[in-house]
Amino acid sequence: MNTSGKIKSIIDMQDGQSGIIVSLHGGRNLTKRLADLGISPGTLITVLRKSLFAGPVQVEVSGSRLVLGRGLASKILVEPK
Amino acid sequence: MNGEKKINVVLAGQGNTGKTSVFNYYTGLHQHTGNWAGKTIEKLEGTLYYKDYTIDVLDLPGIYSLTTLSAEELISREYITKHKPDVVINIIDSTNLERNLIFTLQLLELECPVIVALNMIDIAKKKGITIDIDKLQDIINTPVISTVASRGTGLTDLMDKVIELKEKKHDRGNLIYGKEIENCIKQLLVELKDIELPYPHRWIAIKLLEKDNEIVKIIRELKPVIIEKTKHLESRLEEIHGHDSSLVIADERSHLASQITREIVTMTPHKKMSLNDWLDIITTHRFSGYLVMILIVGAMFFSVFSFGNWLSSGLDKVFRNWHEWWNNNIGITFIAALGWSAIEGVLALIQIALPYILPFYIFLYILEEWGYMARISFLMDNLMHKMGIHGKGCISFIIGLGCNVPGCLSCRIMESKRERFITAVLVTLVPCSAVSVIVFGLVGKYVGLWWALGLYLFATAIIFIAGKISSKILPGEPVELIMPMPDYKMPQLKSILYQTWEALKEFIYIAAPIVIISGVIIQAINLAGWMPAISTFLSPVTVTWLGLPAITGILLIFGILRKELILVMLAAYLGTTEFAEVLSSQQMITLAVVSMFYVPCVATISVLWKEFGWKKALAVCIIEIAFAIILAGIVFRLLNFVF
Repeated sequence: MNTSGKIKSIIDMQDGQSGIIVSLHGGRNLTKRLADLGISPGTLITVLRKSLFAGPVQVEVSGSRLVLGRGLASKILVEPK
Repeated sequence: MNGEKKINVVLAGQGNTGKTSVFNYYTGLHQHTGNWAGKTIEKLEGTLYYKDYTIDVLDLPGIYSLTTLSAEELISREYITKHKPDVVINIIDSTNLERNLIFTLQLLELECPVIVALNMIDIAKKKGITIDIDKLQDIINTPVISTVASRGTGLTDLMDKVIELKEKKHDRGNLIYGKEIENCIKQLLVELKDIELPYPHRWIAIKLLEKDNEIVKIIRELKPVIIEKTKHLESRLEEIHGHDSSLVIADERSHLASQITREIVTMTPHKKMSLNDWLDIITTHRFSGYLVMILIVGAMFFSVFSFGNWLSSGLDKVFRNWHEWWNNNIGITFIAALGWSAIEGVLALIQIALPYILPFYIFLYILEEWGYMARISFLMDNLMHKMGIHGKGCISFIIGLGCNVPGCLSCRIMESKRERFITAVLVTLVPCSAVSVIVFGLVGKYVGLWWALGLYLFATAIIFIAGKISSKILPGEPVELIMPMPDYKMPQLKSILYQTWEALKEFIYIAAPIVIISGVIIQAINLAGWMPAISTFLSPVTVTWLGLPAITGILLIFGILRKELILVMLAAYLGTTEFAEVLSSQQMITLAVVSMFYVPCVATISVLWKEFGWKKALAVCIIEIAFAIILAGIVFRLLNFVF
């Protein structure tokens, strides 16, 4: 998995762009919470839209739409498609 | 009743799955609410009599997993494992199948009898999602019924299935995870053989590998060797998968859920954008989203307040006649006056509840059911974050603008205790409709509309600063927003009326006793002729520091009952409603500032008490009284430069 040049956080993706989740940076509680919602490494995630003034991010993952706080979203690293 | 045989049924599922509709359909006439022992989390129970059976239904809190991260999650899994209900109905949102299945897998791990209800199947069909129910049934070896709970479709079949499952036990077997995980589970099962706990052994093994705090603690006390063994197995799993073993299990579940979904779901893609997509884009857009939000919330307040003022003044006339009747027929004795003040407390509540809170709740529940509240949370998250809480807190603020009581109650939507408390404290600073009466009736009318609006801006700034300070000094980490974005859907009249009724009932239950009792006490002090003494006693604060007339002391005491009494009593004491003749502009603004912040009204205090204990409620009152007095005194002095 030596594609570190391409890997970025989902807050750096464009609206409508998708990517495969590579890793989640955060404590165990946080990553488990995300996994319970279907956000785990290897899953396809699409950024639907970001809000104004660096607010939360709306994503689509495993057929569901979720809103993630900015700080949280910055911890989800993906390999864009 | 005819029910000889008993069945215990539990409803479990994530939020927004229509769980409440199912619960109401079954138990609408026989419900009782209470609290989980030692928690402020609501416990909903009800009874259904069906086909010779007495079926007790318990609605578990809406949660996303069965880990021990939140109190709700812990309660749910403890209940299922300790009370061993006859059947657990897992309600699933068919339009979010994959995410919901992750929760289902966790339920199946608990080895309890489960029936899956594929709810909102009609919306799924509309979205072009076809689900092979038989295949799902085969894969998870568990009965599956499709339902549309809002219309009652499929709910009779579901209950028949419950009875069937109760009568003939069926061994489901377990779902198999990846080879390495199964290997670890097998090794742990050997160690766990002689452990006696209410939980299934396989589940304990999985939870150990997941590093579940609660289970690790229990096992460490019983047989510490197992923990050593687990650590060893975990490090092997971590070596293979490259991340923490708790994640390995969670990943396994989410991949299994997505594998199952792929096998049973056929999607017919839509060519055109649906109305839902259009609405979603407009209402969450970075510009039009805010515009729509201001329009919707503005329209809500405008219509609620116009309706409320109209009905309230109508009720006022009626109640004034009652008061006259009381004085003429019961007499004007000390006891009669006290009796009237008790009645007045009830009437005052009716005068808030019917004209303002009732239509306000109806509006809120329409927006909630429609799916709009989640959009507000999305749009406001960033701003809320700066106060140390996340976007959902904005909903409590909006409710608080109507009335602080339901505003504080709504703080239950926040995930952690810390968040709940901060939000509730900030809500007590939000100017409610009663405070708006003072701001507009005094400052807006006699000083100028812009000054009144300026006071709102001032309140916003104060709330902002208070939020920043409280999130700094209270221990704990802020929780980030994680929220499913629901699709827009048609609100159901029945469910809105039901929820409004429940919320209104709660408002009356909490507020009534304390409003009536404190009303009688204050009236007794008044009739005993102690009020002048009190106003003299308070005059160093009211006259010297705040620059207000001495009677303000009495007004502020009555204002604790209901804030708008400050204005009503002011008129009564001055003998005129032409406030400009007796108060200067800066006195009016100062009085409005004190009224805004000086203390939550008694009804709000009782909510704080109920939700957070009397110590915290008292602390909030004392801090806010001190803060408001200091602030208003400074404002008064600064205003000297303006006027």
